[in-house]
Amino acid sequence: MKPIGADERTTAQEGSAHSDEQARPLVLELRKVTCAYEVGRAAISDVSFSVREGEILCLLGPSGCGKTTTLRVIAGFEPVVGGEVYLKGQLVSAPGVLLPTERRRVGMVFQEYALFPHLRVSENIAFGLRDLPSVLRETQVHAMLAMTGLTGLERRYPHELSGGQQQRVALARALVQKPVVLLLDEPFSNLDPDMTRKMREDVHDLLRRTKTTAILVTHDHEEAFAMADRVAVLNNGCLEQFDTPETIYHTPSTPFVADFVGQADFIPGTIANGKVLTEIGEFPNQGGYQGGASVVVMVRPDDIHILPVEHSGARILARQFRGSENLYTISLPSGRVVHSSETSTSVFPVGAPVELQIVATHTVLFERKQTQELGA
Amino acid sequence: MALGVAGVICAPLMYIVYLALSADSSVWSRLWNTRIPELLFNTVSLAVSVSAGTFVLGVSLAWLVVRYNFLGRQVWEWALVLPLAMPTYVLAYVYTYLLGAGGPVEQAWQIWAGPEGRVFSPHSYAGATLVMTLDTFPFVYLLTRAALLNFNLSYEEVARVCGASRLRRMLTVTLPLLRPAIVAGLSLVILYVVSDFGAVSLLRFQTFTYAVYQQITGRYDQTAAGVLSLLLVLFALIFLVIERWFRERSRFYQTTGRYRVPARKPCGPLGTGLITLYMVVVFGIAFGLPALLLIHWSVSAVAEGAVDVRFLGFMRNSVFLSGLAATFALLIGTPLAYLASRWPSRLNVLCLQAAYAGYVLPGPVGALALLVLFSHLAPFWYGTAVVLIVAYIVHFLPAGLQTMEPALQQVTPNLEEAARSLGLGPVRTFRETTLPLVQGGFVAAWVLMFLQCMKELPATLLLRPVGFDTLAVRVWLEASEEYYKLAAPSALLIVIMTLPALLLLVSKDWRAA
Repeated sequence: MKPIGADERTTAQEGSAHSDEQARPLVLELRKVTCAYEVGRAAISDVSFSVREGEILCLLGPSGCGKTTTLRVIAGFEPVVGGEVYLKGQLVSAPGVLLPTERRRVGMVFQEYALFPHLRVSENIAFGLRDLPSVLRETQVHAMLAMTGLTGLERRYPHELSGGQQQRVALARALVQKPVVLLLDEPFSNLDPDMTRKMREDVHDLLRRTKTTAILVTHDHEEAFAMADRVAVLNNGCLEQFDTPETIYHTPSTPFVADFVGQADFIPGTIANGKVLTEIGEFPNQGGYQGGASVVVMVRPDDIHILPVEHSGARILARQFRGSENLYTISLPSGRVVHSSETSTSVFPVGAPVELQIVATHTVLFERKQTQELGA
Repeated sequence: MALGVAGVICAPLMYIVYLALSADSSVWSRLWNTRIPELLFNTVSLAVSVSAGTFVLGVSLAWLVVRYNFLGRQVWEWALVLPLAMPTYVLAYVYTYLLGAGGPVEQAWQIWAGPEGRVFSPHSYAGATLVMTLDTFPFVYLLTRAALLNFNLSYEEVARVCGASRLRRMLTVTLPLLRPAIVAGLSLVILYVVSDFGAVSLLRFQTFTYAVYQQITGRYDQTAAGVLSLLLVLFALIFLVIERWFRERSRFYQTTGRYRVPARKPCGPLGTGLITLYMVVVFGIAFGLPALLLIHWSVSAVAEGAVDVRFLGFMRNSVFLSGLAATFALLIGTPLAYLASRWPSRLNVLCLQAAYAGYVLPGPVGALALLVLFSHLAPFWYGTAVVLIVAYIVHFLPAGLQTMEPALQQVTPNLEEAARSLGLGPVRTFRETTLPLVQGGFVAAWVLMFLQCMKELPATLLLRPVGFDTLAVRVWLEASEEYYKLAAPSALLIVIMTLPALLLLVSKDWRAA
């Protein structure tokens, strides 16, 4: 098998319009990929998605959902037992086919960074550039140091760096090779929370500036939304939804996704006269369900507003102050609980009767039995 | 009190330094012109060749056992540690028989090479190298294996992502990262080689330890012995420092992160066969064959009535001395380790560090110092078992402390405070919190020290009361006279008794190291 070549790299039409998504070539494609560590127990099954050049994709899911396995399949660390993986149009993984990692031209940033402790910062970054003449290698390392804000630290050893600096070195080491696709495995999970926000912005900016195609694994939906052009949500080794962050948040395709990417309440309802009747009001029947069908409506706290009134069956059960908002827990007459997000200055006493106003721009319906697994 | 104990333990070392530095310059120049160049050359070249041998054996065996999967792997993983149970003088004595003139190896060789065929003599540089290598390669094996097991696989994966081939990954990533562990293992080996007395004395190979012994017993020249001892101490000190330094570093090289069991490469029948052959040969010549030979000799010695009242007397002497020494060492070590871990003031830590002085005092050197010290300061104890017990304590307390220290460190003040806050009085706190946490470590320390004392040879030879022989001394005496059969029961008993200590050591300390 020929290695993923450097020749195409330079000819790729760089930055050819964010406007025209379809014009950008596919860099990576997974077709019904199945991978199993033990026979008969698939870690991921039938996962398909594709990434276009310059795109940032997030693999999102709870721990054990197969997102890291997917990343390792792409890197070539794990063989597949079904399906195919194409890198730059070339088949690299299939049952019986495995282009070794070292010939794939992928970059990888590990969760714990895995900086070589016996090498200095500049030697770490230059590790993958062995084939270049030393002058060229030097220039590239320096350019990378400057770009990642590490100038002046090149003589240090990894243990002499802070967590954020270590991460920059790991990024620099991966990016300096101009990888076809950069893989990041939970890159922010080892940082302090206040550091994470800044690093996210920096990394996002760096990936855009270098026009790097990247796949990022995370279990944090906020991180996925902040970083990604598109998000692939995985659960139990299956791809649940693959779409833009906005679509995933507003119109999740399964109850799992709805619940995982943000707070969601599921209100049971019945189809009648082409509408969904629930205890908090009527919703359009967007799923095209038949009359009499039992469904649930997904509502997010920002779809529900509350108004204090004299008399109502609904009462405020609790208020959680979150700085930028107040999250209210409301008990309905039936005993069901829903949540409402109000501005941070709207403070109502616990126990007050309230009236609900639904301001949903999207209505998301599921069959009732689907949500029962979630215990909703 | 701790200060006093530390002082007593340090006294032999101090005295050696004093003895050597106060020696007349003519003694120095005489030694420098006669003995020292030869001894230095012999000791260094033995250390170099044994290091080379243990490096090859230790690293390759560790690599096979950790990175490959083959039939019987788990068994070999443990079996390869067993050579440590063979004291060097036992292995040396077995090999003087095997390789000696008219011995089985020569006979086998003559079948092939004709009646004039000769194998190398065990009483040579090659013989000493062989015995010491076979006896000490498990140090390198154990430390390398532990480092490989804790190895963060992400390093190798990152190297793959960077396009490095298998060979380049091994040379530029894996081996450099194992370097601290390997160097620590090699330093341990060298420390062992330069302070060994048993093997070199039986193989009559002139090194510093052997020369010190000869100066004391043959020439009664204590000053010359002191000078040679100081050089030996310096030698040992250098490698002790190197070992400490690299062990510290190796801890540091194993970054945290998700631990994954390294994927073992499965072996086909051919691979399994080759690996098994290699393991069988190494294990066979280092432990299996010598052990079988000892059993064989012991059986016939017992049949000839060698295990008589005298033999039981030697056994009783060994157990008596070792038991007393281990118990006293534990009593002395506890306050030192406790003070240093609970109130780590500079003085307390210094006292603890001082107790480690025994590490750089090879058996004959410590014996020499105590011999002279006792004859000057407490002549009424001279020639009694007291001197010997003090020698044991000085020599083996460091090993005990190394096991006691981590046990005591487990007991953080918070735990005791938690017990107190839950309403337990000081006595119950000690009984229900402190004691259960430390007792395992303390029992282990006692067993370790006891068995080290059982094996001890040079100090016992020099300091034992007249007619008060131990098992180790008997092995050495009989073996020196080439009474192979007579030496076997004692030797076998020592090997068998050392096994539990070895398992203790392997299961506890080394994996964590």
